[in-house]
Amino acid sequence: MLKIIIPTIMLIPTTTMCKPTQLWYTTLIHSMLISLLSLQLFYPSLQPIMNFSNHNMAADQTSTPLIILSCWLTPLMILASQNHLSTEPLSRKRTFIITTIILQMLLIMTFSTTDLMMFFVLFEATLIPTLMMITRWGNQMERLNAGTYFLFYTLMGSLPLLVALLSLYSNTNSLSILTMQLSPTMLKNTWTNSMWLLAALTAFMIKMPLYGLHLWLPKAHVEAPIAGSMILAAILLKLGGYGIIRIMSTTNFLSKTPYYPFMILALWGIIMTSLICLRQTDLKSLIAYSSVSHMGLVTAATLTQTEWAYTGAITLMIAHGLTSSLLFCLANTNYERIHSRTLLLTQNMQLLLPLMGTWWLLASLTNMALPPTINLMGELTIITSLFNWSNTTIIITGLGTLITAIYTLHMFSSTQWGELPQHIKIMAPSHTREHLIMTLHILPMTLLMMKPELIWGPLYC
Amino acid sequence: MNPHANMIIMSSLILGPMITITSNHWIMAWVGLEINMLAIIPLIAKQHHPRAIEASIKYFLTQAAASSLLLFSIINNVWNTGQFDITQSTNTMSSTMMTAALTMKLGLAPFHYWLPETLQGTTTMMTLILTTWQKLAPLTLLMMINQSLNTSLLVTLSLLSMMIGGWGGLNQTQLRKIMAFSSIAHLGWMTMILTLSTKLTLLTFYTYITLTTTMLLTIKLLETNKMSTAMTSWTKSPMLNAMMMLNLMSLAGLPPLTGFMPKWLILQELTKNHMTIIATTSAILSLLSLFFYIRIAYYSTITLPPNMTNYSQQWRHKNQQKPYLPLMIITSSMLTPIMPTFMMIM
Repeated sequence: MLKIIIPTIMLIPTTTMCKPTQLWYTTLIHSMLISLLSLQLFYPSLQPIMNFSNHNMAADQTSTPLIILSCWLTPLMILASQNHLSTEPLSRKRTFIITTIILQMLLIMTFSTTDLMMFFVLFEATLIPTLMMITRWGNQMERLNAGTYFLFYTLMGSLPLLVALLSLYSNTNSLSILTMQLSPTMLKNTWTNSMWLLAALTAFMIKMPLYGLHLWLPKAHVEAPIAGSMILAAILLKLGGYGIIRIMSTTNFLSKTPYYPFMILALWGIIMTSLICLRQTDLKSLIAYSSVSHMGLVTAATLTQTEWAYTGAITLMIAHGLTSSLLFCLANTNYERIHSRTLLLTQNMQLLLPLMGTWWLLASLTNMALPPTINLMGELTIITSLFNWSNTTIIITGLGTLITAIYTLHMFSSTQWGELPQHIKIMAPSHTREHLIMTLHILPMTLLMMKPELIWGPLYC
Repeated sequence: MNPHANMIIMSSLILGPMITITSNHWIMAWVGLEINMLAIIPLIAKQHHPRAIEASIKYFLTQAAASSLLLFSIINNVWNTGQFDITQSTNTMSSTMMTAALTMKLGLAPFHYWLPETLQGTTTMMTLILTTWQKLAPLTLLMMINQSLNTSLLVTLSLLSMMIGGWGGLNQTQLRKIMAFSSIAHLGWMTMILTLSTKLTLLTFYTYITLTTTMLLTIKLLETNKMSTAMTSWTKSPMLNAMMMLNLMSLAGLPPLTGFMPKWLILQELTKNHMTIIATTSAILSLLSLFFYIRIAYYSTITLPPNMTNYSQQWRHKNQQKPYLPLMIITSSMLTPIMPTFMMIM
């Protein structure tokens, strides 16, 4: 693990010291090399053991795909932000790149730590760079509001988690994921333990976000710069799912009733947020609500606590991470040309940017989970495991899939087809850099279709 | 000020708390507090501005009232127990009165009203002395009598301080007043843990001193007294301005910055003593303070105002770079990873 973290840390002096003309591609190539280096984590994670790198850090099948995804996202963020930052002075460009690098470092440590307390501290630590990214480099004035929402929603949920973890620690004297798995603390079905579980889960539910606690997410996505949207959709939401899986698998809870409210909200949220997507006028907001809808599936799956469900959750998290990041990049290419996120003002883009149209098609198809994408693999596994949990969920999940297809088609058709708006007088052609970003998103998705067991999590041993 | 007078005042300012801290006898402790109070009054009033005079009067009245209450409770204690030993103040009534007197000296809610007013009336450097050095003697006395203090009373007082520190600061635009409310909230954390672990009180106090000193020195260097001047402070020292945000987040206690360390340990101690509800409440109350800290950060660091500066040529002033400030900023933001070392030496 250190051979990923130390180069990441050394990227910070590289960024501050390298020549202004070489800034972008030096950091890009360096971070790309780090992400290639991280791929070797896949090898030991194919065995059913934790791959220890030192006393405090380990990676297993659940965390390895997420670590590699966060390493993969950093070069993409650097690549995607180049146009957005082109008017900024040099020192602010450097600061921005350093923020993304610190975020990557914190995320790698969050996913690889073996101690729940350490996990909590790092989980919170990712807030500060993300907040800086949203509030400092966003475009509109509403970004301050969005930043406050983001910070306070997350902290309001996670401070009870801190107390819950501390009280667990005073009972068991250890918060290590490994020892807790070996000697599971059986929580009796008492009122206190239900409150404990509620406190422990709410933080992750807000981060996911669960329907009802999701209001911060569309705001944050709409106001964030492209890199902020990408990291938020691709990794930060997955911190919630990862946290639930960790808490669930380390503490065996006897009763299932405390999960019911979360389950109902998650399943109901799939339908509701998909329906909200249908009436969105704002492209980025649409993609954000689509994230909420997909994360509803992941939440529901992790709450059933079966092996299949965990597999489906991890697969969908990775698939959705790449897909939604890709969609945000595509939305950003339009935004940088039209300077508007409104769907009505970006019609018939395939006439102007034909190759982008291809990427839009591919992204839409993966978002609606067409076979043989890994999105379908994840959704199908989740739907199956939910069906196993209760037969009637098939109505909701089936309907959810249907509406997902409808709103994705709506998004695709309203951006790519239709009448070309009159206000578009001049349009910059698409850039090779932009095509490279899209390719680097599509490529891992395509490759994972051929070897999906890499992201199957605990099922594949 | 006359250099001789200045020297006498400054040395008594230092001497007063020293006498209090080292004394074992209640009268000596009280004498130390009085020396300290008498020394700081002329310092607050040094500016010869009506507001400074008002601040010094307010400070004098509250401190004198607190001192006389303290003296009364000392005598009451002596009447009942027959000795002047500070650590043996076992009489319930006098220890309760001592709590009231010392919290009044500290500026803890509900005896906090003088603190924001006094701090707003004086200079930034006096604010620094009032929020750090002046807390030392009363806090030490509280720690010395912690055996006979009433836990539920102190917990109530500290929860009240956290609430008032948070809610009071929301309404302010003057940075010194905000720092006063931040001080009230932090003192709430210190007294919360006072009866359970005095070591943690000390740790919280040290962290609080570090963070507040860094913040106030930054404010002094950037000459920002209110939100509107904070907006243009980036022209003076962009790097320091950027670091101010980290420092503010640390004051708010966001992990993994230094400010999180004492809060974490206090919450742990509280949950260990089965005070989970109180721990959760105080953790959530710290979000109130976070709101106004983040508002300062929004004004100073995050946004660039459309107008460059309030008056022309602001960036032409050569501001003196302080060599100790980078060190202080690092201390006040990155100390959490070495927490195990603290645990060992304390």
